[in-house]
Amino acid sequence: MSDRQKIVLLLLPAMLVIVVLFFGGLIIGLMRSFNYMPIIGLTEPNFKAYISIFSDIEFYHSFLLTFHIAFTSTLISCVLAIGAALLLRRSFVGKTIVNFLFQLNLTIPHLVGAIGMLYLFSQSGSFARLAAEFHLISRPSDFPALIFDPYAIGIIMQYVWKEVPFIGVIVLANMQSIGEDYESVARSLGASKWQSFWHVLMPMIFPGVLSASIIVFAFTFGAYEIPALLGANYPAALPVLAYQKYTNVDLAARPEAMAMAVIIAILCAILIWIYVRYCRKRIRGQA
Amino acid sequence: MTHVSIQNLSKIYKGSKTPALDELSLEIPSGELTALLGPSGCGKTTTMKMIAGLLDPTSGDISFDGRSVLNDKPENRGAVMVFQNYLLFPYMSVSENIGFGLKMRKTDANDIKKRVGEMLEMVKLPDLGDRKPSELSGGQQQRVALARALIIQPEVLLLDEPLSNLDAHLRLEMRDLIRALQQEMKITTIFVTHDQEEAVVLADKIALILDGKMKQYDTPQAFYKTPIDEATARFFGCHNFIKGKALDGVFDCAIGKLKIPKLIKEGQGTLTFRPENIKITKDKTKENSFGAKVSNIIYLGTQTRLKIKLAEMEFDAILNPNETAGLAIGDDVFIHLPSEVLWKI
Repeated sequence: MSDRQKIVLLLLPAMLVIVVLFFGGLIIGLMRSFNYMPIIGLTEPNFKAYISIFSDIEFYHSFLLTFHIAFTSTLISCVLAIGAALLLRRSFVGKTIVNFLFQLNLTIPHLVGAIGMLYLFSQSGSFARLAAEFHLISRPSDFPALIFDPYAIGIIMQYVWKEVPFIGVIVLANMQSIGEDYESVARSLGASKWQSFWHVLMPMIFPGVLSASIIVFAFTFGAYEIPALLGANYPAALPVLAYQKYTNVDLAARPEAMAMAVIIAILCAILIWIYVRYCRKRIRGQA
Repeated sequence: MTHVSIQNLSKIYKGSKTPALDELSLEIPSGELTALLGPSGCGKTTTMKMIAGLLDPTSGDISFDGRSVLNDKPENRGAVMVFQNYLLFPYMSVSENIGFGLKMRKTDANDIKKRVGEMLEMVKLPDLGDRKPSELSGGQQQRVALARALIIQPEVLLLDEPLSNLDAHLRLEMRDLIRALQQEMKITTIFVTHDQEEAVVLADKIALILDGKMKQYDTPQAFYKTPIDEATARFFGCHNFIKGKALDGVFDCAIGKLKIPKLIKEGQGTLTFRPENIKITKDKTKENSFGAKVSNIIYLGTQTRLKIKLAEMEFDAILNPNETAGLAIGDDVFIHLPSEVLWKI
């Protein structure tokens, strides 16, 4: 058996899972989004589902809210993760413990974190009760609405809490492989600390930050459980809206759910395409 | 032109008990090219980083023209360091790399462009401004790193192993370029190297650092003629030592009585002489001549290294290949040690 055949054979199980489950699901979803569901007698593909969701204001509200959640969470997570990585690459007493604590919530499931947020930050949660106890507010319900709120603050807090260590670990590894000598050169050439960070370190860690951000953005844009648990009823995040449509008693709403899922998938694919193009350009530039 | 003064400079890294640099004191006259020479890990680069302000000393002081610069930030110190591996910013073009220091100083863009052009001419890379560092050879990268440092007209230029990553022919070219630029711009320059040859060909003066301590600070010639101790002599490739006592212009030792220069201090000590200063003769000469046996012959191309056995001791001699023609291992010869090449440590 040639090496090439061996590689194909070894990759086959993984490829089967990807092709059957991922592409299979995607193709079925795509077909259903075009109203093609022979099982309930829909055999004429059309754009009805897309027309229907694009003419519904609720979809736009949901889309904007989902974009706001994904963009804001990613941006805040990136800024905090870069700051944390800058601190963690220094040597200080207790660094190992801090590093461990920093990465600890990578192991905690999103759902557990979301329930924690609910217990801590809701208007009947621990912080609301404590604030009332210390007379900072007259009663717990006066606590600012951070959960089920229209600005999705609770959802964003949850994502930031979970994604900062994820991006931070990637950025930290990136910074450690680059080392501090480039910044030393920049300082020696007259750059201030900020200038050496902004003009030297940042462009060098940018591909790592970008790849981590795209993963986080795509995940937060398409994730269902956190907005379902911590989000307001209206507007609901796009995946929540899609799920509501999917579980609607009216089977005719399913193509709309699929159309929304397809839109989420397309957006993620576009983001990955932008990233790959950017990286190729950059690698060509450095080659 | 800046006079650099280093006073009792020490550095002990966190978690280490032994100092990386121990009480180094050095006066570097303005406009001179000084080499910090020593083996890897002796504290040379640590010293450079402290001069550049990239590392804080544990104790001691560094001053430029009599003014302590320890509290100056690296960007305000006026000392620019060129690293051994060049560290050109990979995502910037050659021109952007060279203009970096001026950009940080918020110099006018047109002025930057003009001065970058001048620097590219100066380092003989006029057409490569648009290239990325990865598209350059090692020698070209070194020139760009040098241009990037020189464009901001630093008071002190610090070069970390400037020739060590280059091929033999590029080393010569780069050595001449560094020397020419340094002379032209009259910048006080300090460079570190582990290669004594590099130090000798480039520096006005050499500071030899061994085990974190400065052994000798002198001209390159002095390291060959009058090394301060055995370790210094060994570092410069001399392994010929004889213990004995100097008295009245004569050194009495195991191989006999040797006539020595008058200025050599009297008393017990070790006599040393460079391998290239030993003369091999077939017959005994009138003074400082001793019968010996050739114990090994190593052909080095342009030179031949002989191992000579004498009074149970072995000495190194380096000769021209034509001087050793016809010699074979085991031959009896006379070695002549001219008194002017002898030095007591």
